Amino acid sequence: MTSIEELVADLRPIKRVKPQRGAALVIAAVSSTVVGVWMTAGLRTDIMAGAPHPIVMLRGGMLLLLGFATLSAVLASAQPRVGRSSNGWRWALAAALLFPLTAAYLSIIDGSIPEADLHAHNGPWCLKISCGSALLIGGTLTAWLRTGAPTAINRSAWLVGLAAGSFGAFAYSLHCPSTTITYIGIWYTAALALCAVLGRLIVPPLIRW
Amino acid sequence: MKPDDASIRALMTLAQGGDTQAYRTVLTHCQRWLLRYFSGRIVPSQVDDLVQETLASLHTKRATYDPARPFFPWLAAIARYRWVDQLRRTYRAKEEGLDESLIGEDEEETVAARLSLEKLLALLPIRQSFVIRLVKIDGFTIAEAAAQSGQSQPLVKVNIHRGMRKLAALIESDGT
Repeated sequence: MTSIEELVADLRPIKRVKPQRGAALVIAAVSSTVVGVWMTAGLRTDIMAGAPHPIVMLRGGMLLLLGFATLSAVLASAQPRVGRSSNGWRWALAAALLFPLTAAYLSIIDGSIPEADLHAHNGPWCLKISCGSALLIGGTLTAWLRTGAPTAINRSAWLVGLAAGSFGAFAYSLHCPSTTITYIGIWYTAALALCAVLGRLIVPPLIRW
Repeated sequence: MKPDDASIRALMTLAQGGDTQAYRTVLTHCQRWLLRYFSGRIVPSQVDDLVQETLASLHTKRATYDPARPFFPWLAAIARYRWVDQLRRTYRAKEEGLDESLIGEDEEETVAARLSLEKLLALLPIRQSFVIRLVKIDGFTIAEAAAQSGQSQPLVKVNIHRGMRKLAALIESDGT
């Protein structure tokens, strides 16, 4: 049993938990994964030339949007408060779902399974690099979140996975040679889903307090 | 005297800087606030323990308070987290009926706990609240609850599990 006097005796000046610091750490982690992809796999030639393909811009924009929306919700969750709602990430997720939905629709009106994209040789590579990058980004975010006080543990865990997966997939997208909607709908969705599930499974015991 | 949010916010800011006198005042006010908050939500005999646990959490997580924001919504979020955690611990043993600690030492405590639970159970679908009452409160076995409710045994387990999760979610989302 802890008495008030014991708590007072244990008082030390503290540094406040600042979401800006969490954001800075994550941005540093994302930057290092981008540099890692650049150094190991190389960036797309159109990106290097400063004229990326429209699909590459859309894909990268969507991943960044989802990444920052989920990151913002995670950062807010570190400072609990009754009466606050951080639901912007739901809209970003809904927008991101347009890719797999469009891919499914295209497949239906085409009347065939998109074999080429489904068995694309760089698909598993996409998963590996996206999830590997996500591991570094998610680890950084989780380590920072441990200093906070998230009160909806499972939701925070899903969001850590989604944020890490979005940024990890963004890092890979700068190298990804594919420019088809179907490929994005299959492989990027798989990477995001896998990272979200991993976040849900791994993160809760690390941030519970 | 009951402090307003601005006063306690100022005191908490001093406490974060290491001012022990301000911190003692903050904790004393929080203790009173938490006693009121938990009364009626849990069995009276558990209120003191939960207040102490919440004060310890407040101490551990005091760095997460942002003085630019109101104090009591922050305290309420921590209190609610500890309450949900306590509820989960109480109901962890799924197959064992009502936890002994929930029954309480006297009739009055049992009634108070029951009233608090009834408020929560009213928010669940009847198929879930009915079997939770039978198994978790009245102490019937899964087989007996299945016979009384007309649900299969696996369905009783599923409804209890879903109901308990929903209860925790309801509490977590309260006020947000």
